[in-house]
Amino acid sequence: MKNARAADDSILTDEFLRQLINVGEVDILVGLPTHNNAKTIGPIVATIQAGLLAFFPRDRAAIINADGGSQDGTTELVLNAAIDDVRRGSKISALRTLHVISTQYAASPTRGTALRSILAAGELLRAKTCVVISPESTQVETDWLTKLVRPIYAGEFDLVLPTYSRHRFDGILLTNLLYPMTRALYGLRIREPYALDFAFSGTLGSQFLAQNAWQDETARAGSETYFTLNAIASRARICQSFLGTREHIERRSADLIPALRQTVGALFSSLGPHMALWNASTASQPIPTTGPEREFTLEPLRVNRKRLREMFSTGVAELESVFQAILSPSTLEELRRIARLEETEFRYPAELWVKTIYEFAVAYHKTVISRDHILQALAPLFRGRAFTFLAENRNGSADGVEDNIEALCLEFERGKPYLLELWNGTQ
Amino acid sequence: MTVDVKPADHSWYKRAIIYQVHVRTFLDSNGDGIGDFQGLDQKMDYLQELGVNAVWLMPFFPSPLRDDGYDISDYYSVHSSYGTLEDFKRFLASAHQRRIRVIIEMVLNHTSDQHPWFQESRSSKENPRRDWYVWSDSDTGYPKAGINFRDTELSNWAWDPVSKSYYWHRFFSHQPDLNYDNPAIREEMWNVMKFWLELGVDGFRLDAVPYLVEREGTNCENLPETHAVIKELRRKLDEHFPGKMLLAEANQWPAELRPYFADGDEFHMAFHFPLMPRMFMGVKLEDRKPITEILQQTPEIPQSCQWCLFLRNHDELTLEMLTDMERSYMNDSYAQEKTMRLNLGIRRRLAPLLENDRRRIELMNGMLLSLPGTPSIYYGDEIGMGDNINLGDRNGVRTPMQWTGGWNAGFSVTEPEKLYAPLIQDAVYGYPAVNVTAQNRTEHSLLNWTRRILAVRKSTDVFGCGSIEFLYPANHRILAYVRQLGTETILVVNNLSSAAQAVELDLRRYKGNILIEMFGKNIFPRVVDLPYLLTFGPYQFYWFRLRRI
Repeated sequence: MKNARAADDSILTDEFLRQLINVGEVDILVGLPTHNNAKTIGPIVATIQAGLLAFFPRDRAAIINADGGSQDGTTELVLNAAIDDVRRGSKISALRTLHVISTQYAASPTRGTALRSILAAGELLRAKTCVVISPESTQVETDWLTKLVRPIYAGEFDLVLPTYSRHRFDGILLTNLLYPMTRALYGLRIREPYALDFAFSGTLGSQFLAQNAWQDETARAGSETYFTLNAIASRARICQSFLGTREHIERRSADLIPALRQTVGALFSSLGPHMALWNASTASQPIPTTGPEREFTLEPLRVNRKRLREMFSTGVAELESVFQAILSPSTLEELRRIARLEETEFRYPAELWVKTIYEFAVAYHKTVISRDHILQALAPLFRGRAFTFLAENRNGSADGVEDNIEALCLEFERGKPYLLELWNGTQ
Repeated sequence: MTVDVKPADHSWYKRAIIYQVHVRTFLDSNGDGIGDFQGLDQKMDYLQELGVNAVWLMPFFPSPLRDDGYDISDYYSVHSSYGTLEDFKRFLASAHQRRIRVIIEMVLNHTSDQHPWFQESRSSKENPRRDWYVWSDSDTGYPKAGINFRDTELSNWAWDPVSKSYYWHRFFSHQPDLNYDNPAIREEMWNVMKFWLELGVDGFRLDAVPYLVEREGTNCENLPETHAVIKELRRKLDEHFPGKMLLAEANQWPAELRPYFADGDEFHMAFHFPLMPRMFMGVKLEDRKPITEILQQTPEIPQSCQWCLFLRNHDELTLEMLTDMERSYMNDSYAQEKTMRLNLGIRRRLAPLLENDRRRIELMNGMLLSLPGTPSIYYGDEIGMGDNINLGDRNGVRTPMQWTGGWNAGFSVTEPEKLYAPLIQDAVYGYPAVNVTAQNRTEHSLLNWTRRILAVRKSTDVFGCGSIEFLYPANHRILAYVRQLGTETILVVNNLSSAAQAVELDLRRYKGNILIEMFGKNIFPRVVDLPYLLTFGPYQFYWFRLRRI
């Protein structure tokens, strides 16, 4: 059987292992986690191939496609990028073989399993540098590879995270929770702690692969966030590289819960193991960044704000009993109050938002109820905060949006003592 | 007296193992510091024991030696430094007695500017030999022709102050090109070849053949008129001297080289220039792709023809047949110091190129001897001689042969200062460390290993005459191919990597065969339906004879 496993405790199929043996050793491994990405993956993989040929023609490289069981021909499209002496007639002039391997892991398309497969391949191939490119990164440019790889090649950094030019309303979860909270907790101004396009040294990859976290469902779901947090905790040398534009992707409402699991769940989960670290960290510091830390584009974007507020108000009402277990009475009361406000007056202020998040984080840590229920309960509140962010920045300039995000970050930093008090049980 | 080697064997060149040597470099018999034919004659036993069966001599004709003899001033004699015509005849007989063929260099394209023909030609525009060379009143003709020695020459035209006009030269300016549009030249050069053939030489390596004829509006290479000249020579050769061989020196892409075989009525053999740098590249990259790609692009040649393969020769390791990216990689990999580079190549010997890594030297020789073609071994490479990049031009790879660790490496009894070139004396490659006598005493020396592999190569005609089919195992560091001739089949598997490797080969079509390793003659498991697993140490290679027993 093609994907038969060599051993029950191995994540590598015999076929995958056989292909890795044939690759041998690489300087650069490009990981492509996919699942039914046929619509976008062709040009992405062609750009990666062109980037490798343009910037790293002499280096041993392999593209590893960890696929979650695509049925739309994704893997075939990826495999077409191979350059070898078997496919004759290729017009591509390349110094050496470019290997492309596709492996399918388990039935469920969990990103963590994909990352784990990529990390395992990186370790077995003794990759100096691993790059992960998202199958949604349709605006990938050939120079992304050099922007991500060079800092690691130069031996100056262990982890290169991206910054992008994004639409001002893209990544509201990132700008209103993940970035400011990670920054407040760990003292590093990492703009994309949940990175989809990033690079790391083989050493850092191996270190993360050895973590026990793979047994944890939350860690598997939020492996990219876990990876970044683990790098911070291990004092890895981190930098950011501006990659260019990241296209806005319309998300369905139903996508929010999985996104919360992948990101916020991982961030909340990290608090326990890394308590000593975030407890000790003080004011945040910028990290080395090539290019701008962030750019915002301002094109009009149609967002159904009314629906967001409605879902907030409905959620506050329907999840009353859940919130009682999670939130302090004062916070809950304040949420009830704003839920009653008319749309024109509605505002979920930064201070209350920070307090809410910190109370959720502690509830998550103490598992006052099922952790997954806690994350699900956060969804309507996040929608309320998103409504406020959209309203506050509706007519704002790029600088204005950045100022608002910075103000929120400072609020998170100012609120950190409150988190500690909750954590230590003094509140 | 000449002795026929095997008169009826008209395809001997397909089974040949050629040893390239310059008389000057091999052994000095008269103590003047310069190797000579009597010295070469004394070492014929050595060549016989080595296992080669053809010797290719670089130019030994009278010459001002401004281009190591490729600037000939008399085609009918021997340079006085190397002996006499009688000495040459004795050497030739000696070689033939040992069943060693002799191939000599023939520089058809140009002469020395000291050649009497050129002296007459330049003397006046009315001289009968004026038209033996290519003259012009301007230096603007044939602008599309490239300059070969771009490190030293700015133009292919040179001003002659005597006749106050320009003459054409594709190489150094002291090497005026002969005019092959003139029937008298074609006749005279055939007379030259006939002279040596009648003495008994077995073949010619024809130098710089693409450049014989010039035509306006072309790059003056590979022209139909040039092919016509060669066809005429070949026709005369076959008519008057059947069994003699023509070997082309044409540094061209395979598709451009192919016409030199024509329908089997031009050259018998041609050097495969593009393959050689790609063998070095493949080993450095640890990737078979450069090698398989160039061989995929190599066209079929007539059954009577043959490629001539080499790792190193008397010239720089030419990188002309590479892309800019490949050339840059080769320079950075094999010629880190600028002084190692010359023109579009690398002026280094085999052992230093491979960092004196015995495993890589063996692997490269293993490929040389098992890929389709006739191998040519450059003198001294069988003992791992080094080079001297401080000597100018390509002289660094043309130093005296190292016979012993004693006086002048056993090359000459003269004072060291009188040697035609200084000996290699550095700690790694110097003659005290690298010499024939020492290696004769060591069973596992490179010299003895070379003798063994040449013996294995000669144990079958498959390598020289058989077909090739590449296997494409998924492990790209493994270069595997099957050579076949009649019922005989040989599997060659090379590990191009510096690390141990495993490979699975699809040998199902040879199911039932037993693999017999050709050096130790050990038996390997029988081929079945499953992939055939082989493991390799770094740079290891296997030659297996497939036997159905």
